Amino acid sequence: MTSQLRIVATAVALTCAAAGASYADLARAQSDEGRDTLQVHGFMSQALVVTDHNAFFGPSDEGLGSLEYTELGLNVSRRLGDRFLVAGQVLSRVAGDYGDAWKPTLDYGVVDYQALTRDDLVLGLQVGRFKNPFGFYNQTRDVPTTRPSVLLPQSIYYDRSRSLGLASDGVSLYGERRLSNGTLYWQGGIGVPQINEDAEISLSASRPDLEAKLSTIGQLLYAHDGGRINVALSMARVRADYRSRLTPSARGDFLFQPVIASFEYNAEHWSLTSEYEFQTRKLSGFEYSRANRSTDGESLYVQYQYRITPRWQWLLRYDYTVSERDDRDGRRFAATGLGPSHTRFARDLTTGVQWRITPRWSAQAEWHYIDGTAWLPRQDNPDDEETDRYWNLVLFQTAYSF
Amino acid sequence: MLRTLTFTLLLSLSLSIVTACRADDGRQLVVIANPGIDQSSISLETLRAIFAMRQRTLSSGQPLHVFVLGDATPLHEAFSKRVLGVYPHQLRLAWERAVFSGTGQAPNQVASEAALINAVASTPGGIGYALRSHVTERLQVLAVD
Repeated sequence: MTSQLRIVATAVALTCAAAGASYADLARAQSDEGRDTLQVHGFMSQALVVTDHNAFFGPSDEGLGSLEYTELGLNVSRRLGDRFLVAGQVLSRVAGDYGDAWKPTLDYGVVDYQALTRDDLVLGLQVGRFKNPFGFYNQTRDVPTTRPSVLLPQSIYYDRSRSLGLASDGVSLYGERRLSNGTLYWQGGIGVPQINEDAEISLSASRPDLEAKLSTIGQLLYAHDGGRINVALSMARVRADYRSRLTPSARGDFLFQPVIASFEYNAEHWSLTSEYEFQTRKLSGFEYSRANRSTDGESLYVQYQYRITPRWQWLLRYDYTVSERDDRDGRRFAATGLGPSHTRFARDLTTGVQWRITPRWSAQAEWHYIDGTAWLPRQDNPDDEETDRYWNLVLFQTAYSF
Repeated sequence: MLRTLTFTLLLSLSLSIVTACRADDGRQLVVIANPGIDQSSISLETLRAIFAMRQRTLSSGQPLHVFVLGDATPLHEAFSKRVLGVYPHQLRLAWERAVFSGTGQAPNQVASEAALINAVASTPGGIGYALRSHVTERLQVLAVD
């Protein structure tokens, strides 16, 4: 029954996407003559996920693996008058037992007003649901062709509690200041994030109830020499009301505060990218004072991409994360009886290849050797005690975008 | 002394304003715009922002329409690398990031240089690139400072 439903849903989605693609071509043909700026774009992807231990995005450790990683997106945009742009995107995805499987969600929906466009200064604002500018990849994290690999480095772009950082409903101000051979960009937003079930279950196996509150996010980025060197600093303060489902009277405030420093060097045939994140998760305001606590975690990855030909790319990456800096091997955590030590860190060595078959169609494959399960989705592995410390993860993905 | 001065002068001129870069076959490549655009030069950083699809209007408020050729065409590659000083794969990524994050749109991709020249000439606010030898009076050339 579920698989039938799945096939029907895929067929419907593919038909919609194909219709969107032909409509986009039509729209483009028209814009060559007149100045209609309507654009329709979209993407779809399907992956095969195979693991030797632990389940990642479905039953990847059984049989031939899991096909439960599919992404579909469709967006429309149009310029209104001289200075406005209206854009919206619908996203539907499946990633194993992740909460809102197939449910189409509004990924973003904004009215963008570019108020000032001087030669040396641009100022604008976005109102609506805007994508959070977080590190280099967050704003297009679900778009396969913008990712260097099938999975983004999970230390920073973890999928298991992804809703925390996706997008905000509110207002964002942006600007850029042009220098002689570089540009300084900034963006600062205030809004309510979408904190879903995924964040609740990832925070604690007891799945507390989280209610998002007004939060802030900001990014400062400097691109030198047309983006040969990019450096950025991103910061966010994500706030929520926290309520225990076991003892509803136990309630307080949850604060998630990540800071990311990003660096990238782009040469013609290779790119070197590294990002470091320091994150604080804080619980406060509980009557029971032992519930009030603050935990600092950190993450770092170093990634090398080599473009063998314009169509073939090779990737090598080392990705590290630890849930609590003062307890790197997780031993103190394990001693409290809350779970195995290896759930508190993850070291992931990844290598992969990406092949652009045509400008719109691509295929990629990658292999991860992982020590630790800090970002392993609890959605797919309900019992922490049954997870394995060392595991291999292989992914194949094909994607189409237009 | 005079020679040094002349040399310095020539050097500073060549650095400050570049009207053309060379394509692979040695022919000159220029930034072209619709004659309705009320300026004759543009700064490199502004040009990069326009072709990365981050800036939609000129400082005068004139809306722009960007026209390009496919990523793998020699003219697009020469324009990206020699005029903008970025690689075609960086531009492609910038467009995809704009399109899929709601911060911008994709440029208008056309099939040939002739189609590009025609589109820029007939679209108010049109901007693109072409070989200098193919520029007609229906177009204006923008100097890059």
